[in-house]
Amino acid sequence: MPDRLSFYLKKNSIIHALNPFTKLTLVFAIVTYGLIGAGFWTATILVCLALLPLAFTARLLKEYLGVAVKLILPTAGFMFVMQSIFIPGGTTEIFRLGSISIELETVQRSYLIASRIFLFISAFALLLLTTHPSELMTNLTQRGLPPQFAYVIISTLQIIPQMQAKSLTIIAAQRSRGLDTESSFIKRIGLLVPLVGPLVFGSLVEVEERAIAIEARGFTSTHKKTYLHEVPDTNLDRAIRTILIALIIVAVVWRVWPS
Amino acid sequence: MKIEISKLEFTYPGGVQALRGVSLEIEPGEQVAIVGQNGAGKTTLAKHLNGLLKPTSGSIHIGDWDTREQSVSKLAQRVGYVFQNPDEQLFSKDVGTEVAFGPRNLGFSGEQVQGLVNDALMLTELSDKTDTNPYDLSPTWRKMVAIASVIAMDTEIVIFDEPTTGQDAANIARIANVIKVLRERGKTVITITHDIDFCAENFERVIAMSQGKILLDGKANDVLGEEEILATTYVDPPQLTRLGKRLGFKETVRNEKEFLAILTKQGHG
Ligand SMILES: Nc1ncnc2c1ncn2[C@@H]1O[C@H](COP(=O)(O)OP(=O)(O)OP(=O)(O)O)[C@@H](O)[C@H]1O
Ligand SMILES: [Mg+2]
Repeated sequence: MPDRLSFYLKKNSIIHALNPFTKLTLVFAIVTYGLIGAGFWTATILVCLALLPLAFTARLLKEYLGVAVKLILPTAGFMFVMQSIFIPGGTTEIFRLGSISIELETVQRSYLIASRIFLFISAFALLLLTTHPSELMTNLTQRGLPPQFAYVIISTLQIIPQMQAKSLTIIAAQRSRGLDTESSFIKRIGLLVPLVGPLVFGSLVEVEERAIAIEARGFTSTHKKTYLHEVPDTNLDRAIRTILIALIIVAVVWRVWPS
Repeated sequence: MKIEISKLEFTYPGGVQALRGVSLEIEPGEQVAIVGQNGAGKTTLAKHLNGLLKPTSGSIHIGDWDTREQSVSKLAQRVGYVFQNPDEQLFSKDVGTEVAFGPRNLGFSGEQVQGLVNDALMLTELSDKTDTNPYDLSPTWRKMVAIASVIAMDTEIVIFDEPTTGQDAANIARIANVIKVLRERGKTVITITHDIDFCAENFERVIAMSQGKILLDGKANDVLGEEEILATTYVDPPQLTRLGKRLGFKETVRNEKEFLAILTKQGHG
């Protein structure tokens, strides 16, 4: 059972130490370039020149490549099938499998879409791998994000391991009442009610209690709030952000400039 | 049905060693309370009795069954386990169906199930709530539904994990009555509790645990009299027991009746 709260992997690296907002700006810049640069290889180049070195610096190259394999192969495959079905009509046949012909155009289109999706998702993945969720949210709230919004995100991240722990207890309780969980598939469907029922009811009750608890601690108070944790924001952070924002502006201006 | 635990050790996957060599025998029909500080290993021990946890080393026998060789659902024929939080097991739309779930799983016939359910509902004073949705009941009554749903399985051994936590006096009395009736029926009852008065009033044998080991095990009066040893596992003997000690009683007392009996004998009453 995964006991991690989120994607976050604690490592000692410069990337981890950066201010969350800097990393968010970085993701934003990469997404902007990915969208604006229409070239076939744009996404691939960005992955190779930006994300891979970043992952390496963050000492997460292995994890990053793991995500890459798990994500890009299925997406590319899926895209390929969809493209072949809905937009046929390539002209350059690479090879033939019985009656199915594999065309260069379809392969290219699938690769283009898959590499873009991969670029966007893995940029976010890198942010989440290197940033503790509560640090990210604290920082964003400090910068003006409504705390309600931060709360929704954080509690969603936390609720998953809690639900897992809870379902284990429920399974234990029902097995103690003679429920045979090692039985056949048909019987297993019947298991859903005793297992999911308490999980849902319990969670509903919890939501209400949680709402009362945070309200009692002044969650909606309109006073200016102070923070227990100061998230460091260094000159380096500011410098990086300035450069990134400049790069984003350049890209946008270059794109919309009537040429 | 006899319970034999031999040199039981258990380490959680995370590396916490929760039991460090527990050996114990519980005779059929005994009423045993297990006390001890938070994290002493009480729940871990109890979960071994119905096979939810399997020993890292050592063994547990329930009658002629070795728990390592039986599934939890099979062991449920012999050991009933009332979990602390009823909300983690209730799912049916009415109390009657909920209570019938266990005996049905155990394969009793329709008629037998009906008999067992009626009996369990009567015992837990739920007879008038058979058709109510458990979630429309107050938490104390939901607790009784959870208890009824285990009693209805008619197991030789019944385990309660902290049955009185968060319950009012009326409900504690109801739970005490359930335990009394189970004793009259010759069932073995094992109860984990932090409620020392409940322990003193309802159990003849008390086991005190600390840091994965058994600290004391014996007759309730003997164990509850060991004030200093109990203090090491953060258990205070009942007030009357301590008062009796301060008054210089030679015997340990644990309830009003015993306390008054000694006072009368000494001529103070
Ligand atoms: N699922 C688990 N994973 C890892 N460690 C656990 C788990 N459950 C309990 N422990 C640890 O095992 C030890 C014994 O816990 P146990 O729940 O048996 O104590 P207990 O005597 O029932 O305490 P309490 O009175 O608080 O219920 C504790 O140190 C606890 O932190
Ligand atoms: Mg416990």
